[in-house]
Amino acid sequence: MRNFAGRLIRHEAREKKSARSQDPTVFQSCEKLRLHLTTIMGSPGFRTLLLRTLALATREVPWLRAVRVRADGSLEGLEELQAQHDRDTFLEGGVVLLAHLLGLLVAFIGGNLTVRMVREIWPKISLHDLKLEN
Amino acid sequence: MKKQKPAAKPAAPGKGVSKESKVKIRKLPTGVRGLDEILGGGIPEFSFNIIAGTPGCGKTTLAHQILFANATVKKPALYFTVLGEPALKMLRYQQQHSFFDEAKLGRAVRFVNLSDVLMEGDLSAVLDEVIRQVTAASPGIVVVDSFRNVVRQAIATPSEADMQWFIQSLAQFLTSWEATTFLVGEYVPEEMRDNPVFTVADGLFWLSQLTERNSVVRKLQIIKLRGQASVPGLHTFRINDDGLQAFSRTLGLGGKSMNPSRRRRRLSLGIPEMDKMLNGGLREGDSLLVAGPSGTGKSALATHFIAEGLRRGEAAIMALFEERPEGYADRAASLGLQFKTPQEQGKLELLYLRPLDLSVDEITQQILDAVKRVGAKRLAIDSLVGFEMALAPGFREDFRESLYRLIVALTGAGVTILTTVEVEDNFTALQFSHYAISFLTDDIIRLRYVEIDGQLRKVMVVIKMRGGNHSKDIREYIITDKGVVIILPRMKDYEGLTTGIPHRTGPRPAQADEAAPEPKAKK
Repeated sequence: MRNFAGRLIRHEAREKKSARSQDPTVFQSCEKLRLHLTTIMGSPGFRTLLLRTLALATREVPWLRAVRVRADGSLEGLEELQAQHDRDTFLEGGVVLLAHLLGLLVAFIGGNLTVRMVREIWPKISLHDLKLEN
Repeated sequence: MKKQKPAAKPAAPGKGVSKESKVKIRKLPTGVRGLDEILGGGIPEFSFNIIAGTPGCGKTTLAHQILFANATVKKPALYFTVLGEPALKMLRYQQQHSFFDEAKLGRAVRFVNLSDVLMEGDLSAVLDEVIRQVTAASPGIVVVDSFRNVVRQAIATPSEADMQWFIQSLAQFLTSWEATTFLVGEYVPEEMRDNPVFTVADGLFWLSQLTERNSVVRKLQIIKLRGQASVPGLHTFRINDDGLQAFSRTLGLGGKSMNPSRRRRRLSLGIPEMDKMLNGGLREGDSLLVAGPSGTGKSALATHFIAEGLRRGEAAIMALFEERPEGYADRAASLGLQFKTPQEQGKLELLYLRPLDLSVDEITQQILDAVKRVGAKRLAIDSLVGFEMALAPGFREDFRESLYRLIVALTGAGVTILTTVEVEDNFTALQFSHYAISFLTDDIIRLRYVEIDGQLRKVMVVIKMRGGNHSKDIREYIITDKGVVIILPRMKDYEGLTTGIPHRTGPRPAQADEAAPEPKAKK
């Protein structure tokens, strides 16, 4: 799952570079997933999923406890954390967070639907060799 | 003088709209086996429908099936959900069904959650959001699941005027946008009278599950369907890996019948003397009931009937309720009748129907499917007692009625049926069947035990043969160890054979002590 999340973040980083966005890349990935998933689940549904994601991720990356989830399911506080940690540590935290979110999706709706959803959000990403187990 | 052209005749009053000018309502497939037929061909396009019922009776699954059967990229389906129906869980469970096509998700099937807009607590905001989404997607199918929750969450206690306005506006908009709509909701029958949604709806699909003792049966009723004739009454349905499967009360054979001008052949039962008793054999398309107590050879007769058909190139089905197919085929082989080869050739199917809690309609559907599959001309049902035991208790009350539908449907299609039924010999009367189904059958053969000369022997008599003469003789018969049924000449030296304890009226022939004339057939 981390491989999957890492690919998404790297892909997003490339897109971000071209778009000159100021948001941390992991923000961008979660935000894109949020926009897609709230249509299906509603904001309260996505927020609950993200809270669970954070609970799982902080077991591995304790400093993620400082991240908050807004009512609409968006993340808050990552900019401050980015300033406190070096680039690799911060990126690793982002990968863990995204990996848990994707992991929950795979657990609930299965690998096929999760990959299908990711492809809808990031149509240019290459996932041919990716194998997800439910 | 040139003849004047007569003026066009005015339409006769009261004749209605001519056939040509009538709007043709396209019917959408439901994707549910059996349901299109119940609906009279499918769901009327652009109709506004309600799928109602108690929790857990399959409303959401039905909605999904309809959705996936019709959604295309060009005409997508919108599925509105609300709080209480978590979309992820719905996707998780629904993808277990074979109709769930993940390739359709996103472009052809789109899920939209209304919980954010419901927070505003205003039905007009809900309507605006539905309008916004529908206008953007131009869907062919729209589902709101659960509609009841939408109304409840928008307004805690909606006034009737609010509800009327909301439902009317929603129905008007969705129909104008050429969408076929399904509102899914948990309702109880008592609400039908006062809830305006039921008045506005064009179609009302009511699902229920009834518990009786330890079994649960699911039933479906089309309470209302504007514009076309649906099959009335309660239809059973089942939910399995393929989703819902409905079983129409008419079994899909309502209109089919044998060509009446076709001469009905006489079919041999494979026992020449018995054919003679039946005035040349069983009439094609007849239903014959073979009634008798345990051990009188009912299954042997059924086996002969099927084997003879196979010998003449007629495919057959045996619906077995008491004995496993392997055992049945082995026993037939011991009687010199080979079932394995025709089975391999697809000319014969032995259906073993023993799972509990089946409905008559499900069993009937399985039989009908098999009849169609092999092109069967002969069907043996062995036995009615086993058939009844396989049913859920709730369905046993309907057994007689359902059996009638099965027999009428199959014989109407030209299949000749032999049914066995076990009856107890009480030695005072000649009972045909405790099901009181004798009126369902064209022909009845009764087998029974009689006590003669210190032996329990077997006699048979043709009780009834609709539309034809038959032998009135009571004849003793023997089933040999090779399975051959030997029918002895009419018994003239006894009176009271039908009671089972006859009196000898003729001379007693000298006879030595002997072994029973009928050893058991070899295994």
